[in-house]
Amino acid sequence: MTTMVSADTLDISFPEVDYLALAPLLIVFGAACVGILLEAFLPRTRRYSAQLVLSVVGLVAALVTIVMNVGEDRPAFAMSDGSRVDAIVIDGPGLFLMGAIVAMGVIAVLLIAERRVSAGGAFVAHAAVAADSKADAAQARHPGATEVFPLTMFAIGGMMLFCVAGDLLTMFIALEAFSLPLYLLCGLARRRRLLSQEAAMKYFLLGAFASAFFIYGVALLYGYAGSVQLVDINAAIAASGNSQVLLLSGLAMLAVGLLFKAAAVPFHVWTPDVYTGAPTPVTALMAACTKVAAIGGLLRVFNVAFGNSGNPGGPSLAWDWRPILIAIAIATMVIGAILAVTQTDIKRLLAYSSIANAGYLLVGVIALGQALGATLFYLVAYGFTVLAAFAVVTLVRDSQGEATHLSRWAGLAKRSPRFAVIFTLLMLAFAGIPLTSGFAAKFAVFSSALEAGQTSLVIVGVLSSVILAFPYLKVVVLLWLSQPVEDAPAVSMPGFMTGTAVTVGVVFTVLLGLAPQVLLNIVDGAGQFLAK
Amino acid sequence: MNLLADALASGTVTTGEAVTFWILAPIALGGAIGMVLARSAVHSALLLACTMLSLGVLYMLQSGPFIGFVQIIVYTGAIMMLFLFVIMLVGRDSRDSLLETLRGQRLAAIGLGIGMALLLCTGLARGIGSVTAVGLDEANANGNVQGIAADLFTKYVFAFEVTSALLITAAVGAMLLAHVERRKGDRPGQKELSRLRFRKGNYPGPKAGPGVFATSDSVATPALLPDGTESERSISPVVPVRELTPAEAAPKGTDGGKRK
Amino acid sequence: MNGLESFGQDPWWLVGLKALAIFVILVLLTLFSIWYERKVVAWMQVRPGPNRNGPFGLLQSLADGLKLAFKEDLVPKAADKIVFLLAPMISTVCAFTAFAVIPFGPVVSVFGVETPLQLTDLPVAVLLVLATSALGVYGIVLGGWSSGSTYSLLGSLRAAAQVISYEIAMGLSIVAVFLTAGSLSTSQIVAAQQGGQEVTLFGTSFTIPGWYALLLLPSFIVFAISVVGETNRAPFDLPEAESELVGGFHTEYSSLKFALFFLAEYINMVTVSAMATTLFLGGWQAPFPASWWPGANEGWWPVLWFFLKVLILLFGFVWLRGTLPRFRYDQFMRLGWKVLVPANLLWIVVLAAVRAGTQQPEWSAQWVGMIGGAFLLVLLVIWFWPGRKKYEQATEPDTGLGGFPVPPLDLQVPPSPRVKRLTAEREPVSVSAGDDATAEGKEG
Repeated sequence: MTTMVSADTLDISFPEVDYLALAPLLIVFGAACVGILLEAFLPRTRRYSAQLVLSVVGLVAALVTIVMNVGEDRPAFAMSDGSRVDAIVIDGPGLFLMGAIVAMGVIAVLLIAERRVSAGGAFVAHAAVAADSKADAAQARHPGATEVFPLTMFAIGGMMLFCVAGDLLTMFIALEAFSLPLYLLCGLARRRRLLSQEAAMKYFLLGAFASAFFIYGVALLYGYAGSVQLVDINAAIAASGNSQVLLLSGLAMLAVGLLFKAAAVPFHVWTPDVYTGAPTPVTALMAACTKVAAIGGLLRVFNVAFGNSGNPGGPSLAWDWRPILIAIAIATMVIGAILAVTQTDIKRLLAYSSIANAGYLLVGVIALGQALGATLFYLVAYGFTVLAAFAVVTLVRDSQGEATHLSRWAGLAKRSPRFAVIFTLLMLAFAGIPLTSGFAAKFAVFSSALEAGQTSLVIVGVLSSVILAFPYLKVVVLLWLSQPVEDAPAVSMPGFMTGTAVTVGVVFTVLLGLAPQVLLNIVDGAGQFLAK
Repeated sequence: MNLLADALASGTVTTGEAVTFWILAPIALGGAIGMVLARSAVHSALLLACTMLSLGVLYMLQSGPFIGFVQIIVYTGAIMMLFLFVIMLVGRDSRDSLLETLRGQRLAAIGLGIGMALLLCTGLARGIGSVTAVGLDEANANGNVQGIAADLFTKYVFAFEVTSALLITAAVGAMLLAHVERRKGDRPGQKELSRLRFRKGNYPGPKAGPGVFATSDSVATPALLPDGTESERSISPVVPVRELTPAEAAPKGTDGGKRK
Repeated sequence: MNGLESFGQDPWWLVGLKALAIFVILVLLTLFSIWYERKVVAWMQVRPGPNRNGPFGLLQSLADGLKLAFKEDLVPKAADKIVFLLAPMISTVCAFTAFAVIPFGPVVSVFGVETPLQLTDLPVAVLLVLATSALGVYGIVLGGWSSGSTYSLLGSLRAAAQVISYEIAMGLSIVAVFLTAGSLSTSQIVAAQQGGQEVTLFGTSFTIPGWYALLLLPSFIVFAISVVGETNRAPFDLPEAESELVGGFHTEYSSLKFALFFLAEYINMVTVSAMATTLFLGGWQAPFPASWWPGANEGWWPVLWFFLKVLILLFGFVWLRGTLPRFRYDQFMRLGWKVLVPANLLWIVVLAAVRAGTQQPEWSAQWVGMIGGAFLLVLLVIWFWPGRKKYEQATEPDTGLGGFPVPPLDLQVPPSPRVKRLTAEREPVSVSAGDDATAEGKEG
């Protein structure tokens, strides 16, 4: 037995795994891997339906397991020697964030799968063919690449993991796991391919840069706390005698990485270009799910590691980072709102509105635990509305594909009033008019921020909401009161999938406006992040 | 570097370690700076490889032999090699375009970059001074490799598994963006090529090679057909027809005056 | 604790002595193996080979080396001077470094100091060899690029792609060794191959020999194939394919710089042979018949076994070169990525499953064998599952475009008319002289 001696001397005992807690993640990642295998083994003609069914079934199954997990806060791994492993923490807010991502992910997958509105769908058939070449023209009517389904599933899985990761290392890998598929998806548009590729390139380069900041921040924080677990960092802040320089510079860099994904000013510059260039279903996915993931990550990091939830009443780091985050939130709200006013392209407008909304969400982050529920509510309300808005954008088409320039939208109400009513409703929700989800969400966030004592932030927030209402109302006016242009784009009849997306979005927008209490109760029931 | 001096005095750092550090640190730093400043992309890549190599050795120095060698094998050996591969295809004479699209961008970038570096360096110098390194012996108690394995397969097992998702995504992405699928019939087979070769108006034999004469041995010199005319077909289409210098064109009395 | 206590204890003079010995051995081995290669190839091609300089032509490579040193050192005008100079140095330095962790023998006494016959060992020594081979490619790639010549550039591009591809296969093949030996240190891997191991499978117990070449045969095969690619030797010598690329990456090199490349190539060959010996062939331990003698693994004898094994492996390299034609580039890449890497991954999974299975008390060896067998069966069924499309014979023969004469598929070559006429003319000859005369008369 000489051959195996040295290997056996090392005693590594595998941690006990709570498979129910891991189930949502395992299902989504598993479905993505199976999707890759389908790509490899199924003939081209059968891939689309198989992938669609697999993705939707996988996401629904994940949603079911998320619901099954409700009620018990615990880490998913437990070391046999009793030491704490926080790699994945299943707690109320985490489950809620995962559930929101999965629910919106289903809608986004439906949008991605839509092939009836335009021939072949929104994705290019062979991305490797040079744009605008002869071969590109030849593949114009080929059905789109089906690899987008597993990529989307990987992205959704990464986002879910990002929201429940309890240590910074797992968080970083989750960040990469959802960013990389998004970079790819951005570059796969069927129309205006050069624009789409440019968007992917920009997103990739800037995203890589932001990731570098994130990981450098993790390194510094490890130097400070001797651990990458959020809970340990929080404990170290209370106890450690190490220099605060490491902690603060680590925190700053970590925040850069997180705020980049949330599209906060001044890390927002990629947003308009990427939102415009990416295929619209992918933009919808980014605006809804990525926003949830990024803000979810921010919430967890700031609440668990840098807040004082671990030791209430003890020393808190919040005094140090709050002023800077407040400045960022104000800049985000104001700049996003003002730049939205000047936009002439609907996707760009929605991009700037997404930046401004990141600002409102940051208000919730700054208010920490007290505003946690309201922020979660805002994420869901905004996510479903923005999904429906982008779904409607995919429907307005002319011979060149989607007609996104606002001048082309003039007087569309005369030709398709039903569409105009829906879009108007969504715009009003964005603008925060009462009886829509937008109002309820903003009200919830601002009132909890007031309770947390962030009066100045709330004032700026309300002011910027007023500014931001202007471009939305401008679109409404354009739709109803302008004369239609010649060769105006037509509003396509939505297929089943886009129809579902629009319907669900509108229903949520109205429902959360009329009866916000339903969701607010759920959110309150979710409680706080597990910080002990 | 008071820190190092202290460590040296207290015996936690051996002389050999200090000497290696002072040799490698300037190399690493110089490589990094040179990488930014070098004009040729290949030189940049080389200097970066040099930096990575030095860092790898520094890791080994700090009782992390496994991560040090992995750094060398993966980063220097594979990733930088792929970089070089791509850069070499770009062409060795290509230089960075120095045209500024935004006025004053470079100055601002240099200023901000140096500012950021100074901020970080001073911060770190202050910050690290107060940190006492702990736990190295415990971490390496069962051996360096075993220690890493224990961490990877217990604490970070899920992160480790998720990296596979990352790698799958990367592989699928590379395939999506770079692999042009050829369907049957896209590429002419032997039969089609043969037909093309023998179609009417095409000369099926091999092309005449470029001319090799006593006056010039350039591949850009066209061959002479039996009747003395120059054959354009003998020159590759990517090679421009070379204008002969007067000295080259002047009759040298070697071709009996037949060449025009 | 980690079994490497006997290293790092040497006095400085001994370290220097060992380093010097390795240098001298490698240079001598290079000179020898050039002669060895030429002699072996000559023997295979039934010609004498070098036989002028020294006994059996042994000094031929020395003479060649000296001659090379006195050649003019050319630097092309288009070359990137610094990198052009640096490239052969990188190659050579990396080639020499790898040998530092190769164990030549057990602990011996040198001038009264007990020391292992190995310059040094690390917990991750095998990674050092991988790292140096990864860095050594820089020499080839940069040499080709900096020459400023198309042939060189093509050679270096090939080298870059080739080494990255085959290093993956090579690294994966070593993983099985790590798994089994439980260590990455060369001396411990050699130690782990000592003696056999009793294994009980399906009720019968037998002893598996300790050499990993037998225990981990698939790994050894992959390793053997991939190191040939890694060292740019025939049939994988695409970076310097002389019939396509003149000399590949070293087309523009001359004199000592060329000699350095040459030196590096042969040292690499020796290095990978030594690695194969260490990892798979029991290192310095005595081979089968000699292992009966109890003193075979003590003192300085193991050095003999070690070099014997290395020379046999070197013979394998030469044999390949003497026998096989060069691969086409796409075939070569396909072999690496589609055969070696997946096969290796599969093998590692199987090995890990078996190991995990044998360590679980509730899993008996039978179960492991049966599950593994079922898995293999499924794989075989998938592999040999008949494809849906059968090859269909073309219904009518292709006559080509524009009536270009393509011979029909069922062409039967008619007997040559010339032959017929000859027999017709000769037929009368065999009858008689008289007939012959009449025949002539008739013709006339």
